[in-house]
Amino acid sequence: MIRLVAGLLVAAVTLALPAVLDDSALAVYILLGLAAMVTVGVSLLMGYAGQVSLGQGAFYAIGAYTAALLSLHGVPPVAGLVAAPVAAAGSALVIGVPLLRLRGHHLAFATLAMQLILLSLAGQLEVTGGDIGLQAIPQFAAGSFEAGSAAAYAYLTWAGLALVMLVTRNVIDSRPGRALRALATSETAAASSGIPVGRYKLVVFALSAAFAGLAGGIYCFYTGYVAPGSFPVLISIQYIVMAVVGGLGTIWGAVVGATAITLLVQGLNSLAALPGMPSYAPSVLSYAVYALVLILVVLFLPHGLLPALSGRLSRKRDAPPVETR
Amino acid sequence: MSAFLTYLLNGLAVGCAIALIASGLVVIHRVTGVVNFAQGTFAVVAGLCTSALLGLGVPHGLSELVAVLVAALAGLLTGLAAIGKRDTTPLSSLIVTLGVGVLAYAVEIVLWGDQPRSAPGLAGSVTVAGARIQTQHLLVIGVTAAAFALLALFFGRTYLGKALTACASNPYAARVVGIDTRLMGLLAFALGGLLGGIAGVLVTPLRPISFDTDVTLIVNAFAAAVFGALTRPVITLAGALLLGVAETMAAGYGYGSHQLEVALGLMIVVMIVQASRRSAISQEPT
Repeated sequence: MIRLVAGLLVAAVTLALPAVLDDSALAVYILLGLAAMVTVGVSLLMGYAGQVSLGQGAFYAIGAYTAALLSLHGVPPVAGLVAAPVAAAGSALVIGVPLLRLRGHHLAFATLAMQLILLSLAGQLEVTGGDIGLQAIPQFAAGSFEAGSAAAYAYLTWAGLALVMLVTRNVIDSRPGRALRALATSETAAASSGIPVGRYKLVVFALSAAFAGLAGGIYCFYTGYVAPGSFPVLISIQYIVMAVVGGLGTIWGAVVGATAITLLVQGLNSLAALPGMPSYAPSVLSYAVYALVLILVVLFLPHGLLPALSGRLSRKRDAPPVETR
Repeated sequence: MSAFLTYLLNGLAVGCAIALIASGLVVIHRVTGVVNFAQGTFAVVAGLCTSALLGLGVPHGLSELVAVLVAALAGLLTGLAAIGKRDTTPLSSLIVTLGVGVLAYAVEIVLWGDQPRSAPGLAGSVTVAGARIQTQHLLVIGVTAAAFALLALFFGRTYLGKALTACASNPYAARVVGIDTRLMGLLAFALGGLLGGIAGVLVTPLRPISFDTDVTLIVNAFAAAVFGALTRPVITLAGALLLGVAETMAAGYGYGSHQLEVALGLMIVVMIVQASRRSAISQEPT
């Protein structure tokens, strides 16, 4: 009952916010929703499949470039938005077959390398517009509806986030979801119980890539341009920070983590924009926040913010979620 | 032919710098099992520090020495964050060192600004068999050779070095005979910082260093260390030299824009080949 009321309350606030926020606050709201969408995927991948990806920004970029290229060539934006997660998941399937043979730090570096290669390619190819990127991407439109205002993008973003969360919840509750939890604890044990380890890891990798691709697709319609500079390595690290802060392997944790980090960085940015602060203050403050929050949470709250909070509220010491390995 | 020789020697110098950073990675990984993502940061810290000190009028030699010591201190601090707390798993430690690397961005920008900085190195060049080689390149090669020789002596001939090796081969047995494995881990981090610092000091005159150069450095160093499965220094050196020569040749013969892809692609292929030769059981934490 409480959960239902809380859920309705969250839904009501989410729906009401775009109507009351002004444009600059809406921009934060939209980027928050997009970050949460990617973070849900990262949390699923790290928490349930036990794999660290430092290259999630690459799939975000693939989604954005796919949607941008398609709509620039006259394909309806809806088709572009659908193609974005499909392209991201497809490339994750192709890349994942060799890459997921790796584990732990090897996989972390391989995914980082993948993002660096992709960014370097996107900066050199003619099709992707080189370092300048793609510009004048048309507004998102479906039938007679055209998303002209920021509020429309806010609804689109949070509808996407709701879809991503619903899919994730269903995956976790299903039989494959239990298999994934087994796999995160011990691959050997899971394999000897008859779980097709490799295939499941690949599917989760592709699913998390699809979430990132969807977010990237919405991002390119919202901003109207994409360039390699929009997807630095730091963006992938940012998703890890958000997932770890919220609590790996928890859906709401990803949203809480993304919200906490986005609001914190935003608050510090407005602090840094005060007169008298040096020009480098915004970037310094955001680097410092990412770093300190990441280090402190990994060391002292290994299960993340949300599980720690809810554990304290309910006073129940039931089994913690998946271990951070 | 002389162009080839120039590229070869330049490539060896680039490879030597990578090898120094990678050997720090290997030392830390052997002793603590942690892959130190902040390893490239040590080089950046030392490079920026030496350029700033030289700018203040501190003489050559002293400023390099101070910069290397600062990098060693950075290594020690990274170690404290990464393994200072008991029961930190290696993968958590990796994420912590990732955080340390990002934190270093903030510190570096505050101290030294966000623009690339360079430092004057050894001027002049020598001609070897018709190929002009910058003296700084020769210095890099010489210092790296000396550093590896000293490392071999340290690990093979001193009690401290043997204690570090003991932690690497069997931490439990090392504890049983009274070696403080955590202290040794911190020492390994400081040594890693030292090696990274030497690399940074040597590289800064060759190419400008900015706060975010560490990503390229660490990825190259990790690629080299992967050749030696993150445990064998000599194969790491060979891997780094191969990488340096391959990248410089690619740049020299007109594929300069693709040298990063060459290095990264090579690294991924080596890792996948290695992974397919090991069973999953040997890699799982117990």
